[in-house]
Amino acid sequence: MKTREYLILLALAEADLHGLAIARAVQELSDGQTRLWPVSLYGTLESLEGSGLIEELEDARHRPADESEKKRFYRLTRTGHRALTAETDRLGAIVKIARSRLKPRPEGAK
Amino acid sequence: MSFYRLLLRFAPRRLRDKHGREMEAMFRAQLADARGRGGIAVAAVWFHALADIAGALPRNLIHHWRRRGRVGVPQERRSLMIGSDIRYAWRSLNHQRFGSILVIGMLALGIGSTVAVFSLVNGLFLRPFPFPEPDRIVYVNETAPKWNLEETSVNYHDYAQWRRDQKVFEAIALYDERAFNLATDQGADRMQGASVTMDFMKVLGIQPIIGRMFTQEEDSPKGPLVTLIGEAVWHERFGGRADVLGKELKLNSRVFTIIGVLPKAAEFPGGVRLWVPMQGDPNTNEQSYSFTGLARMKPGVTIEQANADLVRTQQGIFDTRDKERVVTPFARDLREQFTRDFGTVASTLGAAVSLLLIVACANVAALMLARALARRREMGIRLAVGASRARLLRQLLVENVMLSIVGGAAGLAIGQWAIQLLLTSLPDQAPSWTNFTLDGRMIAFTIATSVATAILFGWAPALHAMNSDVRAAMATATAGSTAPVRGRRTLWALVVAEFALASLMFVCGGLLVRAYDRVRNTDPGFDPSNVLTFTVAVPAVKTPDDASGLAYRKRLVERMRAVAGVTEVGLISCAPVSNCHWGSFFTAENAPPRGPNDPNPVILMRVASPEYFSAMGVRLKEGRFFNTSDGSGGRDQDGTIIVNDTFVKTTWPGAASGIGKRLYQGSGPPASGRPIRWLTVVGVTEDLKHYGLERPVRPGIYLPVPIYPRNANTVVLKTAGDPASIAPAVQAAVREIDPEIPAYDMRTMDERLALSRSLRAAYSWMLGVFAVMALVLALGGSYGVTSYLVSQRTRELGIRVALGAKRSDISRTVLKGSLAVVSIGVVIGIAGAIGAGRFLASLLFGVPPYDAVILAIAAIALAATGFLANWLPARRASRVDPMVSLRAD
Repeated sequence: MKTREYLILLALAEADLHGLAIARAVQELSDGQTRLWPVSLYGTLESLEGSGLIEELEDARHRPADESEKKRFYRLTRTGHRALTAETDRLGAIVKIARSRLKPRPEGAK
Repeated sequence: MSFYRLLLRFAPRRLRDKHGREMEAMFRAQLADARGRGGIAVAAVWFHALADIAGALPRNLIHHWRRRGRVGVPQERRSLMIGSDIRYAWRSLNHQRFGSILVIGMLALGIGSTVAVFSLVNGLFLRPFPFPEPDRIVYVNETAPKWNLEETSVNYHDYAQWRRDQKVFEAIALYDERAFNLATDQGADRMQGASVTMDFMKVLGIQPIIGRMFTQEEDSPKGPLVTLIGEAVWHERFGGRADVLGKELKLNSRVFTIIGVLPKAAEFPGGVRLWVPMQGDPNTNEQSYSFTGLARMKPGVTIEQANADLVRTQQGIFDTRDKERVVTPFARDLREQFTRDFGTVASTLGAAVSLLLIVACANVAALMLARALARRREMGIRLAVGASRARLLRQLLVENVMLSIVGGAAGLAIGQWAIQLLLTSLPDQAPSWTNFTLDGRMIAFTIATSVATAILFGWAPALHAMNSDVRAAMATATAGSTAPVRGRRTLWALVVAEFALASLMFVCGGLLVRAYDRVRNTDPGFDPSNVLTFTVAVPAVKTPDDASGLAYRKRLVERMRAVAGVTEVGLISCAPVSNCHWGSFFTAENAPPRGPNDPNPVILMRVASPEYFSAMGVRLKEGRFFNTSDGSGGRDQDGTIIVNDTFVKTTWPGAASGIGKRLYQGSGPPASGRPIRWLTVVGVTEDLKHYGLERPVRPGIYLPVPIYPRNANTVVLKTAGDPASIAPAVQAAVREIDPEIPAYDMRTMDERLALSRSLRAAYSWMLGVFAVMALVLALGGSYGVTSYLVSQRTRELGIRVALGAKRSDISRTVLKGSLAVVSIGVVIGIAGAIGAGRFLASLLFGVPPYDAVILAIAAIALAATGFLANWLPARRASRVDPMVSLRAD
């Protein structure tokens, strides 16, 4: 899973959000390390939606005539939640292994 | 913001349709966040957003082509096909050699003219001055509207006041371009130099290569005689040796000690080869305005603040010496000052050359489109056997880029050649600090122009032609019938545009050429034929007083008379159209006292010998010219004066004659206790265009030589034959009198006159040439399009002939269609030209923008061009053999 996909899922795990809010949340979650720009953000959202990890929130009250007028909110699907948990576990395991291997270097060595 | 929307056109369509508004809103929010953090953050947002869109680009394109192209055909290998692209492009271009050469030629002409004009603009407006932080340097001068002088030059006393009180400048300095007689073994050379105040190099931000700058003591009255030499003089005369410091130079027959060497950048405003301290005396309070100022502003100071501060420091002078506030100091951006005369010309040329480039591009577009239409069948076949659309587009792109590279390179060469040609025809017009050699900016400009041309005008039409359905293209192209309607319409539109622009340019160029002709035929007020002029520089130590000055000039005149071929010898302080001016004030007898706000125009003052008037061919209106007894009493007695017609009209409005009237030199009531030296008008001359053919005439006067003998430095020789041929003899004769006094600036009056209008000549002819080039391009474009359309209609025309159409009917049909298109273009263009003429008004010298002769000539020339372009193809159409044409294809 790509970092930005993971971060988007993580952001949506907390709340249902729309595009700009997702971008802001991702920036905050990654401590400013990852900023999402419009085309890549919506491209990623589309592909996540396509693989069923997130879904668009149905809002019956507000339905503008033009599709592009709409402000879309997304939420995590059950599959998405599972994928997020699995990825988190995988990352956690990798980090654990990495920590145990990476011994601090002796002082003075170059 | 809408620009971002445009950019989003390149984002995948699926995303754009669904999320377009949100993406825009998001970008807006990101931009708003960044605004708070300054310009760099905003730029970063734009950069990221662009990269973001560009990142999605290839995916988008591939998707696009896959969907529109055929499905199920094996993918070509994508990598490393460029080599074969180039090979194939070469073969294809070589195959249609004539067309390719035509396109390259058009591109080269268009790009070449653009490069020539751009290098002018670059040299004048874009290239930075060779000083550190040039934006902080300002030009300083004084203005006196009441004297009818936009720039009076700077008074040293005023300058001393500014320098003492100002708060906005790091340094302020004066310079005065001067020429020196530099003594050599053979006699003396004339060397361009400048006298400067001590801070001059501090203003420019330049350090001596070796040695030091002038000190305060050296820049004080009666200071030691020291000089700084330029790098060029250092190398030429001292071999670039370090021991030059302390060596001596004999300038104007006085010995100066060299204290330093300055780099080339210091040669401001150009051609200055050595510098001496000005040694001005702030305590003299004379009304002499002769210096030019430069100042370096402190960081963060604006020109407005600098101006305000200068006027503030002038307050002391307004309170005492200049209670009427006649003379006001001002500061102006350095580049603005030195390019003032060129602004309109440069923008006119820029506009003209852009139009020319557009015409050339329209031509290229038409040719490429016609070519692409003709190749639809080839493309169709290649698509059908499995080429991908992306591959074909890339192929076409490579062809176009190859054409544009060759065209651009040829254009760059043409442009360089044209600019050199132009500069040699304009010896003294370009400001001397300018440099028009090739630089990175120009190369970048050429590459950008050529590539943009190739893509917009070569590739786009090809795309346009190919963008139709494969099967339809195959079907129509196979049948060998007429071109598709869409393609034909585009071609006609291009022809209309070409003719509209060509007629616009033709009219504007014609107007300027006509204006030039009018300037050339303006009566200068003197007779320039067979007149040689030159100037002698007599150092002050050679003729310390008026008597010795007069004696030298008498000897000079006698010696000149003895030169073979000279018929008349005159002396003048300042010859016409030579960029010189010496102003003074005169007050008429019984003139009503001048109110504080009345204008007091400065009078052009000249000193002339009796024979000057006949040698120069100045015409007398009434009275007489000087004779040898005029002025013999010197400055301290009443004397005689000759005035021009404008002087009579402005000084004594309504007077029938100026003869016998009296006046005295000076402004306002005469100083008490000193007797008035009355000058009686003995002659009135007709007006003479002293400042140039296009400049207004100022009131002017002549005084006899004995009044100011040491100002009569220009010798005017009327010759029996070609004046240029006796120049060497004259030069030798001057040296014979005194080897340390050279003659310089030797020119015939015809040359001076031509020089004074050379700028106008240059841009008028440039526009004329552009107009003719546009016409030729329109001719070629229209010919190409009609020929192509006729060749596409061969089958149709054959059918018509077979059904009994007369050959004259056929050619008439073809001609009528094309000429209708041409005339639409011409009408649009001429209408546009009448509108555009108003913007040219300042360059037209009174020629009306709707000048009927020019409009008629333009209409006829363009109609003839249109006819010529279409006549051959029409004739060819009428010769169509029905049997051959029906079998064709």
